[in-house]
Amino acid sequence: MLLQLTISGLSQGAIYALVALSLTVVYRSTTIVNFGHGDFVMAGAFVSYVLTVMLGVAFLPAAVLAVIAMFLLGLCFSRGLIRPIRGGPHIGYALMCIAVGYVLRGIARIVWGREVLPMPSVFDMPPVFIGNLVITGDAMFIIGTTTVLLAIFFAILALTDIGKMVQAVYQSQRGAQLIGINVDRFNDMAWGVGAAMGAMGGILIAPVSLLHPDLGASFLIKGFAAMTLGGFGSLHGAVIGALLLGVSEQYAGAYINSALIDITAYLIIVFVLLVRPHGLFGHKTVVKV
Amino acid sequence: MMPTSAQLRFRTILFWLVPALMLAVPMVVNPYVLFIINGILIFVLITLGFNFVIGNLGQLAFANTAFFGIGAYSSAIATTSLGLPWIATIPLAGLAGALGGFLASAAALRGIRLYYLAIITLAFGELMRWIYVHAKSITGGTDGLSMPRETLLGFSLTDDRVKFYIFLVLTVVLVKATLNLLRSHIGRSIMAVRENEVATASLGIPTSRIIVIAFMWSGFVVGCAGSLFALHTAYVFPESFGMLQLIVSFAMVIVGGLGSVLGSILGAVVLTALPEYLRSFPGMEELFFGLIVIAVLLLLPQGLASLLRRLSPIFIERYYRE
Repeated sequence: MLLQLTISGLSQGAIYALVALSLTVVYRSTTIVNFGHGDFVMAGAFVSYVLTVMLGVAFLPAAVLAVIAMFLLGLCFSRGLIRPIRGGPHIGYALMCIAVGYVLRGIARIVWGREVLPMPSVFDMPPVFIGNLVITGDAMFIIGTTTVLLAIFFAILALTDIGKMVQAVYQSQRGAQLIGINVDRFNDMAWGVGAAMGAMGGILIAPVSLLHPDLGASFLIKGFAAMTLGGFGSLHGAVIGALLLGVSEQYAGAYINSALIDITAYLIIVFVLLVRPHGLFGHKTVVKV
Repeated sequence: MMPTSAQLRFRTILFWLVPALMLAVPMVVNPYVLFIINGILIFVLITLGFNFVIGNLGQLAFANTAFFGIGAYSSAIATTSLGLPWIATIPLAGLAGALGGFLASAAALRGIRLYYLAIITLAFGELMRWIYVHAKSITGGTDGLSMPRETLLGFSLTDDRVKFYIFLVLTVVLVKATLNLLRSHIGRSIMAVRENEVATASLGIPTSRIIVIAFMWSGFVVGCAGSLFALHTAYVFPESFGMLQLIVSFAMVIVGGLGSVLGSILGAVVLTALPEYLRSFPGMEELFFGLIVIAVLLLLPQGLASLLRRLSPIFIERYYRE
C-alpha cells in the first residue's frame, strides 16, 4: 500500500517537477514569477493534442514540435511583452503573465468550447506486477521520461558554458553584462526554455488526464508549492520539493482524508512560508539598507 | 501641476454631483442594465479595497477574494442561521473581512513579501474556498446558501431598484471614507511604507501597525462588498470566490490605475460593463480581457486614471505620486 502510493505520488511529482523547474528557470534569470505558467502548460498539451489527434502526427514528432512551438512562444512573449514594461513595478509583470495566460485560455476555449477532451494513451504498455505492487505503463512512461529530461537539463547546467552563464546571470545581471553576456537575449532564452519545459509537463500529463482549457490553474499552484518547499530559486530544490509534494498528496489522501488531496499544496505553502520561508534548499534573504 | 483652489471646489461639487445624478438611474434604465450597474457598484468596492493594499501600501497580496468570500458568507450565514435582517449583517461582514485582513497582514509582518506574499495569500483564498465546500453544515457545501426574501421598511429587498439605492449609498460612504483615510496621517504613512519601509520606520512611524491597519481596512471594504454580493445574487456558493474573481479584480486595479481611488472606480466600470456583452461566446470574454490588460500595460502603465489626469488637473489626487 505504502509503496503503491509512493509510486503514484512520484509519477505525479515528476510532472510537478517539470512545472516547478520551468518556473524556477524563469525566476532565476529574470526574478519574475510567471503567474500565467499554468496556461503555458495547458497550451503545450493542446498543441500536442492538435498535432496527434487532429492532424494524425505520431506522438514523438508531435511532442517535439509542440515543445519547439512553446519555446518560440516563450521567446516572443519575453521579447514583445516583458521587455517593454521593464523597469515598472513587479505587479506589472505579474499581471502581464496572467493576461497572456488568459489569452491562451481564451483561444483554447474558442476552439474547443466547453468540452473536455480525452487524449489517447501513448504507449499501450502493460502494467508491471511486482508482488502485489502494480506499476502502470503511464507511470513508468512519465517517471522514465522525466528522469531523462532532468538528467539532460542538469548535465547541461553542470558541464557546459551555458551552465556557467546561468550562474553568472543569477548572481548579478550587471556583472554578467560586464563580462559580455547579452543579458536581454539570455532572459528571452530563459523564457523560451521555461515555456518549453512547462509544455513538456503538459504533454506528459495529457494522456493520463483529461484536457480542458482550465487545466493549467492547478499546475501553477502545484509548481508554487514545490518551489516554496524546495526553496525559491533553487533548481534541485524545485525537483525535490515537487516529488515530496506528489508523494505527500497521495499519503494525505489515502491515510487522512481524500478531500485533503486538493489542499495539500496550499497547506504546504502556508506552513513552509510561516515556519521556514526559505524552504529546504533556498538561501535566507537578508534585507540590506 | 496642482489644481487651484477654484478647481478643488469644483472637484468637491463634482464628487457629490455624480452620485446625486445617479439617483435618477433606476428611472431611466431597464432592469437588466440596473442589475449590471449593481454589479459594477460591488466591483467598485472590491477594487477600492484591493487597490488599497497593492496600490497604496504596495504589497502584492492576493487575499481580497478571501475577504470577499468571508464577507459574503458571513452575511449569508447571519441571515439564514441567526435570522438577522440583511442590512444588519453588512457591518458584520465588514468586520469579518477586516479579521481576514488581520490574518493576511500577519503573513506580511512575518517578513513574507513580494512573490511569497502573493503566493501565501493566494493559498489563503483557496483554503477558504475549500472550507466553504467542506463545512457543509454551515455553508451548504457546493450547493451554497440562498438568501431569504426580506423587506426593509416596507420595500422588498429583491427589487433591484431598492438594492441600487442601498449599494449606491454604501459605495459613496466607503469611497469617501477611503479618500479621507488616505489624506490622514495614517494614509500618508501607508504610502510612506510603500516608498521605503525602513526609512519610514526611522521616522518613528510604527510601520507594522500601519501595515495591519491597511490590510484591515482593505478587508473591511471588500467584506462589505461581499455582503452586498450575497444580496445581489441572492445566492452564495464557493465558485464565486475562486481564482477568476481574483484575476478580474486585479485587472480592474491595473487598468484603472494603481494606487488611485478614481482608477478603482474607472477600472471596475470599464471591465464589468464591456465583457458583459461577450458573455455568450465561450472564450471571447477571456481573450478580450487578456488583450485589454496587455494593451493597458504596454500603452498606459498608469492606468485609465492617468488619461483623466492629463485631461484636467482636477483629477490629480494629492496623495498620488506618478
